[in-house]
Amino acid sequence: MRIGIVCPYSFDVPGGVQNHVMDLAEALIGLGHEVSVLAPADEDSPLPPYVVSAGRSVPLPYNGSVARIAFGPVSTARVRRWITRGDFDVLHVHEPLALSLSMVAVLSARGPVVATFHTAMTRSRVLAAAQGVLQIVLERITARIAVSALARKVQVEHLDGGAVEIPNGVAVAKFAGVEPLPGWPGECEPGAGGTLGFLGRFTEPRKGFPILRDAFVELARQRPGLRLLVAGPGDPDDLFDRFPPDLRDQVTFLGMVSEEDKARMLRSVHLYVAPNTGGESFGMILTEALAAGTTVVASDLDAFRRVLDGGRAGRLFPTGDAVVLRTTLSELLDDAAQRAELTACGDQVVANFDWPVVARRVLEVYAAAIEATDGRVIDQEWVGLT
Amino acid sequence: MPGMWWVVGATVVVALVAVYLIWTAGRVERLQDRAQLAARALDAHLLRRAAAAAVLAERRDGVELYAAARIALDAQPDEREAAENDLTRQLRSIQLDPTDADCEAVIAASRRLALARQVHTDLVRDARSARGRPLVRLLRMGRRHTWPRYFDIDDPTLAIPAADVSSR
Repeated sequence: MRIGIVCPYSFDVPGGVQNHVMDLAEALIGLGHEVSVLAPADEDSPLPPYVVSAGRSVPLPYNGSVARIAFGPVSTARVRRWITRGDFDVLHVHEPLALSLSMVAVLSARGPVVATFHTAMTRSRVLAAAQGVLQIVLERITARIAVSALARKVQVEHLDGGAVEIPNGVAVAKFAGVEPLPGWPGECEPGAGGTLGFLGRFTEPRKGFPILRDAFVELARQRPGLRLLVAGPGDPDDLFDRFPPDLRDQVTFLGMVSEEDKARMLRSVHLYVAPNTGGESFGMILTEALAAGTTVVASDLDAFRRVLDGGRAGRLFPTGDAVVLRTTLSELLDDAAQRAELTACGDQVVANFDWPVVARRVLEVYAAAIEATDGRVIDQEWVGLT
Repeated sequence: MPGMWWVVGATVVVALVAVYLIWTAGRVERLQDRAQLAARALDAHLLRRAAAAAVLAERRDGVELYAAARIALDAQPDEREAAENDLTRQLRSIQLDPTDADCEAVIAASRRLALARQVHTDLVRDARSARGRPLVRLLRMGRRHTWPRYFDIDDPTLAIPAADVSSR
């Protein structure tokens, strides 16, 4: 199948949507399909061979953060040319409701269009005000995909339509095979040692770092040799100031990590802790930790419960409760057999999130969109579902 | 000459209204065509699932399943939704083994049917909302088509144990 994918955000900066698009494209190519990705990018930036640049992007505040997007007559002309030259069987756009390449592509397309919605936009007033304009975009879309239950809920409640829920994939092979960082995770035996991991912006309240800190400080007093490995953006001094002076040498800060080091970091800990207090629509980091074969302890949020299969693939604790978190951590660090049991179940769960599996589900949606556009039914073989 | 400007103004307004009407008529037409094609795809997937279920029933001597599949295949348009729901219930009541080829065919057909149903529902909704606009009704645009109809069936997806999905 010839597939055209439009990514609204520039590949020059890392981001969830960009990673999703790249992984999806690579998985589809791996299944034997022809894929072309159109995305904004600077002329001289290195791009994978399947990406076509739509020109430079401009930073624009959108939905609470800054997105680098391209929009305007030049971009429109490039989108049109790419669509004409590509001769695609299906066009797959991401985030079509942002003022971006994706929206231009939807409005220029004539054939089957599949759209993936990533963000769970909660500011519904904006959606309601622009409903008439958005309707013109939406009615060009044949099939909609939502990456999380929350994103799907927005579809149903505010955009008056259904969507197929297909989760974010995770490139299991990229996480499973890597070496831990040298010297990690170290010893872990009943009553002593063990390493905890946290990845994310520790200054952001929703990430729940203070809860982990409280649990760590208490537990470190009872458990000699306990270590904490933190990765993510932020100022080291700001992080170490949060801990009592005598515990600071048990905390290691890596700063921002690359995708590759993220995988190594996840394999360098005995327990990965996700103490988030809300705002997570999917829980990508949990699937990554599971793919790395690390035991996960996460707060009992809807999104996390779904990923962890109700607690079978990782331990859940009441959101915001540092005391229960501490006892859970202590119990799991003491019990290697239980950790092994959880990771074994995690392997099964994460297999459903592996990109080739997820890409096959996306291909079925492509088939549904093509069928609904010309009324014929496509053989499984042609879609590559065998 | 003030009269001249009236003429120009009126011409511009008439032209704009005409453009808008032509655009709207095209839009209504396009959305209805889309809904119709989606209905054809949905119909094909319903037939495909019933056929797969019949094959499975024959091999297993499942009399009730076979009957449900036949009824779904032969149903008149006004009975079809109920017949398809019966078939879904029958399929849910039996043990399906994803490693078996005939079972897998039924599971895959149900999954594809669920997608076709989702797309059809969305496209019918778009078409109906376009048809329902006051201006469209007033000018009786799109009257060459019958009103797009929903096909109201339960979600036909068959639940299979999580561990088995990975081995698919």
